[in-house]
Parts: sequence; structure tokens; C-alpha cells
Amino acid sequence: MQRRCRIHTIENVAEAGEAKHNCCGFVVQLLDPRPSPIDLSMRFLIAIPMLAAATATAATAAFAQRAPATGSTSAIRIPFQKYVLPNGLTVVLSEDHSTPTVAVEVMYHVASKNEKVGHTGFAHMFEHVMFTGSAHVPYGTHDRYTEGVGGSNNGSTGNDVTQYYETIPSNYLETSLWMEADRMGWLLDSLDEAKFKAQRDIVKNERRQSADNVPYARDGEVIDLTMFPEPNPYSWPVVGSMADLTVATVEDVKQFFRTYYVPNNATLAIVGDFDPKQAKAWVAKYFTEIPRGKAIVRPVVPASPLKSEKRLTFEDRVQVPELNIAWATVPSNNADRYALSLLSDILTGSRTAPLTKALVYDTQSATNASSRSQAEEGIGEFIVSVTPRPGHSLTELETIADSVIARIKMTGPTADELTRAKARREATFLNGLQSDLGKAQRLASDQTMFNDPSRSVTIDYPRTQAVTAADIKRVANKYLGSTRVVLSNVPLGKTQLASHADKSIVVTDPFTEKTLEVRP
Amino acid sequence: MRQSILAGALAVLAVVPASVNAQAKTRVAAFDRTVVPPAGKTPELRVPAWTKSTLPDGAELIVSEKHGLPLVAFDISFVGGANQYEPANETGLASLTSAMLSEGTASRTGDQISDALQALGTTIQVSVAGESGRISFQSTTDKFAPTLAILADMLEHPSIPSAALERRRASTLVALTQSRDRTGGIAAVVFPKVIYTTDSPLGRTATEASIKAITRDDVVKFANSYFSPGHAIITVVGDVNAADVRRTVERTLAAWTGGSMPAFNYPTPPAAKSTTIYLVDKPGAAQSTFSIGFAGPPRANPDYYAIRVMNEMLGGLFQSRLNHNIREVKGYSYGVGSSFAYGRGPGAFRAGGEIVTAKSDSALIQFMKELRDIRGSNPPSDDEMQQAKASLVQSLPSSFESVGGVNSAISSIYTQGLPEDYYQQFARAVNAVTRDDVVRVAQKYIDPDHLDIVIVGDRSRIEAPLAATKIAPIVLLDPSGDPVGGGKP
Repeated sequence: MQRRCRIHTIENVAEAGEAKHNCCGFVVQLLDPRPSPIDLSMRFLIAIPMLAAATATAATAAFAQRAPATGSTSAIRIPFQKYVLPNGLTVVLSEDHSTPTVAVEVMYHVASKNEKVGHTGFAHMFEHVMFTGSAHVPYGTHDRYTEGVGGSNNGSTGNDVTQYYETIPSNYLETSLWMEADRMGWLLDSLDEAKFKAQRDIVKNERRQSADNVPYARDGEVIDLTMFPEPNPYSWPVVGSMADLTVATVEDVKQFFRTYYVPNNATLAIVGDFDPKQAKAWVAKYFTEIPRGKAIVRPVVPASPLKSEKRLTFEDRVQVPELNIAWATVPSNNADRYALSLLSDILTGSRTAPLTKALVYDTQSATNASSRSQAEEGIGEFIVSVTPRPGHSLTELETIADSVIARIKMTGPTADELTRAKARREATFLNGLQSDLGKAQRLASDQTMFNDPSRSVTIDYPRTQAVTAADIKRVANKYLGSTRVVLSNVPLGKTQLASHADKSIVVTDPFTEKTLEVRP
Repeated sequence: MRQSILAGALAVLAVVPASVNAQAKTRVAAFDRTVVPPAGKTPELRVPAWTKSTLPDGAELIVSEKHGLPLVAFDISFVGGANQYEPANETGLASLTSAMLSEGTASRTGDQISDALQALGTTIQVSVAGESGRISFQSTTDKFAPTLAILADMLEHPSIPSAALERRRASTLVALTQSRDRTGGIAAVVFPKVIYTTDSPLGRTATEASIKAITRDDVVKFANSYFSPGHAIITVVGDVNAADVRRTVERTLAAWTGGSMPAFNYPTPPAAKSTTIYLVDKPGAAQSTFSIGFAGPPRANPDYYAIRVMNEMLGGLFQSRLNHNIREVKGYSYGVGSSFAYGRGPGAFRAGGEIVTAKSDSALIQFMKELRDIRGSNPPSDDEMQQAKASLVQSLPSSFESVGGVNSAISSIYTQGLPEDYYQQFARAVNAVTRDDVVRVAQKYIDPDHLDIVIVGDRSRIEAPLAATKIAPIVLLDPSGDPVGGGKP
């Protein structure tokens, strides 16, 4: 499960030219982001830290009024106002005057999950079309009044939601609302074939740059297709398949817009340095006349039909193999997600975390071990990934990983392990309160998913802090069982390097560009 | 069809508010929505204030109070980095040593350090880049003093265990192997080597041989000489009291001594060669990584602000000439851009991005066109000038949003040797840049006849088309940047 953005962000982190790739996927909330404010030209494009929902290491973001400096997160409250326009648009406002900037976020409850088989990648391609201009806001204007006045903008598409956002100097709030309203209400007036096809080429390049040309990047596509096979709408990647991207038409764009891009399927969040009375007046002026759409029919998401272990081998243009073990878990509205998320931290979140310690430190059979627990609206998954040191097989790594997981299932985590994992969450939680954009995205996401803008703060965070060792032990036993996908990523032609190669089936990624499947 | 988009877009840039699509509206708006809402009054720039003092050990201490959330960002920046402190045959020593600080001290094992920091809800990051290094953390206010005590122990008494060094070395070697599976990973090695040669630290990157050559003694010596107060700037930003911080820092770092400011002596880069394409084969690559550049000017340069403005419109902004043309109009890429590295030495200019294999030749033609046009044949429009300046000046406030952002903003001034009123003066300096300045610096620094063009991609599909452009001769290099079949590049 990944997010795709309009703009891939690259941050040069060293003079030597080493670049850190920062697509707005998971784990982009750096604890201490350090692009030098003196020399922002170091960036290639725009760097926007963004918070993603429910990942293991990027803990839930949150927001607060200026809390008393007690060091206690219990003092955190959320100052927000929420109201709904007659056309169904939900509006959330939250003031924060500490910097003279405003973040505007428009989140639509539509994404790759709403696509049809054979039309994968469409929701994300549509996101790109939203930047090509609308009836009264010509192409280029959006960048002109965000980046061109010292702000920034981007959009991103996931499995469940698509979002559009900008951070602007506070004197440009009205301009921003004018532009967002225009593409919500009048996108199709300026749509043409040429604009659409240009964005389709760009999106194909995005697929190449984020998947086809990136070692190990397609592992997730193969895992999801196996774990949640069609017609489950989580079976395909957000960026879609190269073949499907080719068949989309302008007519598809129109249909999609009329169905899903309606005010009753959207949330507008404004966070930062503004006067709420004035903001409400502008919201009314620009958004009220956009008509309500029909009620949205949400897709049915079946549970994973997997009943036993699936062992797969994927050949990639790599020199070093990697092992992935994946389990289906729970969607974001299931309370077990809190314990699963902490379980991931406990297994691999530090050098003393049992899985990391066993693989990287004690046996030194791996150079890296990671895990992540994700909870989407319709499904959830837990994935462990390991890179071997030379001389160590994936079979050996799997055996060690299994023994550590078995031990956690027997004994649960120690009290110290649990306490440390929660302490790390507190720091991440507070850190997330600093950014207008981070807060706007969290407010809009919580509203969209749970009809409660403050859910992260009032429910998710306290419930995570209330998880017990027994909860962790229980979810490990319940979800990390023998029904799973074990995927070995191996160098081309070296399928014998797969874990238990004799039992592993060699598969290809059906979403890849066909010309890349030619074997050397 | 693509041409018509370009024409439309240029029209938009010229007359932003007026352009309206002529097609019939799906719905007539209740008021004239073509009118761009007027911007409010430009917010006043509020630069955070800070206090500065020199500690007995020679380090500078800077404190900036930022209340609201109970958070503190602590940072020790070191002036000078791998380029100044690393022996030529041991590239990677600075990074390996940085990693070793968390592997144990005289009184704590690596595991104990990790567990203690986790309990405090924080992590300590250590890194050394080309011209500066840092050791830093962000914590809640109440955990500041105990975290600082661990940091001091790591700085003053690292134990550098041999077994941990070998583990780190093995991981580094695997990462080096994996970096060569990516076209971008190869370009990061080859591009600087082509521009500077390995005679300059700016042209050297870590290799298998250099990582294997590093001994424990080398690491111990580097740790002791580099992580010292004589070239350190300590910045503390957040929910603290300046006087308390000074007492805590002085007490905790009382035993820390030694070190001095480094000299920044870079060899003169090799004389610019006539434009050449250096092609590195990556069979099966879906995209080619482009890096087009040269040895640029240092940061201390009267043309600095004009170059910043020029680069914004060339390849900094999303609607910059390079990205607009190569991504938005032509669809050859998901994004391209350009940057100057600056620094104390001749930091590199790079224009580039990931280009779909089949359009590598067409993209090169467009890169060359834009690099020529900015030199005067297509001078900046008023709107380009306005946007480039506003994007630099009006984006400053967002740098001061978080405690980490403020910390970085302040420490950068001192590591780069800039005046203390830098941010107050920034807007004036940027706004003074004229269109003639932009054309002048483009002509002075960007020489289309003397560019190093490094392209990493599928040779079987891109070599002949690149040759057919007749832009420059092609030299084949291997993934280490050495000529294929021997000889000098």
C-alpha cells in the first residue's frame, strides 16, 4: 500500500550529491528535517513532509492548541471548528498563529479502491489532471499562487483517499480557496485530450521512477496481489499497471469527476494563521454554489481468501536478495491495529528490538531488518523485510525470524520493551503538532475516515498508550500465523537463492511495463 | 498537440488573471470567478531571536527560546566535514566513525545507549557531510538534560568496539553493492568523479577498497580529532530558559576539549573540457538518470543572490523552464530540475532527473535548449522574475515553523560563515536582483560548450540515438566512473 504524489520530492542531504528520496509515502515525517533554509535551491523539486496514516514507524500525527509546557501529552486538546455546507462539504478550521502561514487541504473520499479491474491507476492519474486548470483558473495559475508567492503545493493518492494541499503565506488564503473551489466545481470545462495525454505520459514515468526502475519496489505489488486477489480493490497498486494506464480516456475522467468529486464526498481543512470569521465567509463565497452530487456507493472489500502459506519468488534487477514475510491483519476501524502497530515497533524499532537484535546483531546474518503494520479503510497488513549479509541464505533468515516471532507469541514483550515503544510514540506525537500541513492532513483524514477530526488525538493516541503486553501477545498469535505470503526477491536467473526454493513459485509482476520483462 | 499546451501555458504566464477557456461552461458561476482574489497584506517576517556565548571549551553556544509545545531541538554542528578531515584513500571514514559513536562508550554498551534513549523517547543522530557534521536530538523538555548526558558520553568516551566496526563495515559494503543497482546510485559516484577527478575530495566517494582499508585506529583518531569543541557550534531551540540551558550544557560538557577551525583548501577543479557525454551502461533500465553540470562557484560570491533567482526559474520551481518543458509539455519525465551545491569550495551545478529510456535523446536536446536560452536568447519575463524572488523571500517564514527548523536555520548561518542578520537582509538582497543580473550570471556560469553530461541508462537503447543528436561525443564509463577498456576519461 503506497501513496503516489503529483511531485516526487528529492532532498539533497550531502554535498557529495547523495539524495534522499522523499515521495510522500510512509515515514516521511523526519524527526528533525534539515533542509537548510538558507539554500533551498539544493532541492530538486519541492520537499513537503507529510504524515501518512497508520504506519508502524510514522506514528499517528496529532495537533494541539498551544499546550502548557508541562511535558505531559495529557494536556493536549484540539482547537477546531467543524461545520457542513448545505451542499455536503465538510469544513474543519484550526487556528495556529505561530507562523504567518496557512495550510489548505482538500481531501476526497475516493482513490485506487474505487477503480475497476482493467482501469488500475486511474484515480491517481485523475489527481494529475486536477492540476491542469479549470474553467476560471487556467493551467499554471495554481503553481503561480502557491510556489510563485513562496508557498508549496502537491497532491497525493492512496488506496482510500486523494488529497490536494498547499501551504501559503497567510495573505494568500482567499486565492487558495478560489483555486480549490474552481477545480471542485468547474474542472471539466477546460479539460481536453492533449492535457490528459500529457499527464498520462508523466504518470507512466512516475510508475517507472517509483516501481519499475527501483530495486525491490515491486515486492509490495506482488504481495498485495497474492494476499488480496481480484476483485478485491486492494489487489492492485495505486500507481496502476502500465497496460491499464494506456487505455484510460477523457470520457473516463468526466465520469469519475461527476461521480466522486462532489462536495458531499470532500473535506476542506484550513490550519494556521487566519481569522476564522473571514475564512468562513470566503468558504461560503467560493464553495456554496457547487451542487451536491449523488450519494457515493462504496466498494465491497472481501477478506483475504488466503487459507495457507503462499511462497513466491520474484526475480528483480538486483545483486542482493531480500526476504519479505507478510500477513493480512485488520482495517483501520479495528481496535487491534494499536497493538499491531506497537508490535511492529517492538520487533524491529531499535537495535535491541528482538528481531533486529537476532538477525543483525547476535547472528549477524542480516544487514537490515524492518517491519511495518498498515491499516487501511478496508484491509490491513503486517510485513517483515530482511536483507542478508553475504554468505547467509534467505532460508536461514526465515528460520531465525520465525523463531523470534514464535518467542514473542509465547512470552509477549517485556515490560521495558513495551514502555520504550510507547515512549517513542509520545515524541513522534508531539513532533507532529508542529506543522500546519501535518495537522490539516490529520484533521481531514480523521474526518473522512471516522467523521471525527480529532480522532488521532482523542482516541488513537490514548488507545495506543493503553495497549498491554497481553494485547501484544494476543495479536501476535492471532495474526502472525501460518497463513501468510513469503516473497523472496532474487537476482535475475538466480531463483535458487529463494527461501526454501524448492517450495517457492516463481512469479512476475503483471503491473510492470511489458518490455522490461525480457530476460537477459 | 503538445505544442498547443506550451503556447497556452506561456500565454498564462504572461497574463495570469485574464485567460479564460472559451469552451461552454458546465454551469454558469454566480459571480465573475475569473477575477483573482486580491492578496492581503504581506505578513511581516519574524526572525527568531537568539543569544550567543562562548563556552570555556571554545564551542559557541546559541539558545533560542520557542515556547508552545514542550519540545527542545539540540544540535552540535561542526565546521568542516569529510572534505577537510578524511584521508584521500579512506573515503567513508567520516560516515563509519559517525555510526560508531552509538556503538558504545567506556561505561555503556551500544545496547544500553539505545535502551536509555528509547526510554527517553528520543534518538541521537550523528552524521558528517562534505563540509559540516552534526550530532543532534529532539526531546521533550523534561528529557533534555538526561539525553544531553548520554550525548556527552558518546562524544567524549566512544569505545569503538572492533566487533561492531566489522559489523558496520559489512553493512556498508552490502549497501554499496545495492547502490549500483540504481541508476541514481551510479550517477552519484560517476558525476562528481567526472567533474572533479579523485584528486579533489569533491570527486571522491566511498568505494569497496576505501571501506576495507579503514582500520580501528583510523576510526579512533578521526573520532578524537573531529568531534571536538574547537570547531563546534551548539544550538538549542525550544521550550527552555537560556540561562538554564547554558548552565546545563557547561556542566555536562565540562570535560570536552580540543580541536580548532579547519582550513578550506580545495584544489582548483580541472579546466573545463568541451561538452562530452559520459555514458554508463545499466542494462534493462526503464529510465536514464541525467546529470548535466560543471564545477560551480562557492557560496561566498557576490553573484550568489542572482544565481539563486536564476536557478529558481531555470530548474528550481515546478513551473521552471526545465520542468515545465521536459515534464509538463513533453512528458519525458516525472520531474527534472537544477541546483547549485555552493559550499566553501567549487560546489557542483547539476541539471537532471530520470528520463524515460526511449526519449533520452529528445530530452537531452531540450536540456541543452533551456541551458542556452536562459543565457539571453529567451530572457526572463517580468512574471518569472517576480515568482522567482517571491518564492525565495516569502518561503522563509515556514523555515521557522518547528524547533528543528529554527535550529537548522540558526546553525546554518554559523557553519556557512554568514552574517548574523542574514535573514533580515535576505529579502533586500534577493529583491535587488535585476533581469540583467540573471542573464549575466547565466552567461558567466553556464557554458553550454563546456558541460559534463553523465547519463546512466540502457546503452543498447540510448547510445545510437544520443550520438545522432550530434550534441557531443560519447565516452563510455563503467559504474565506478572509469573508462570502459582502460585509458583516461
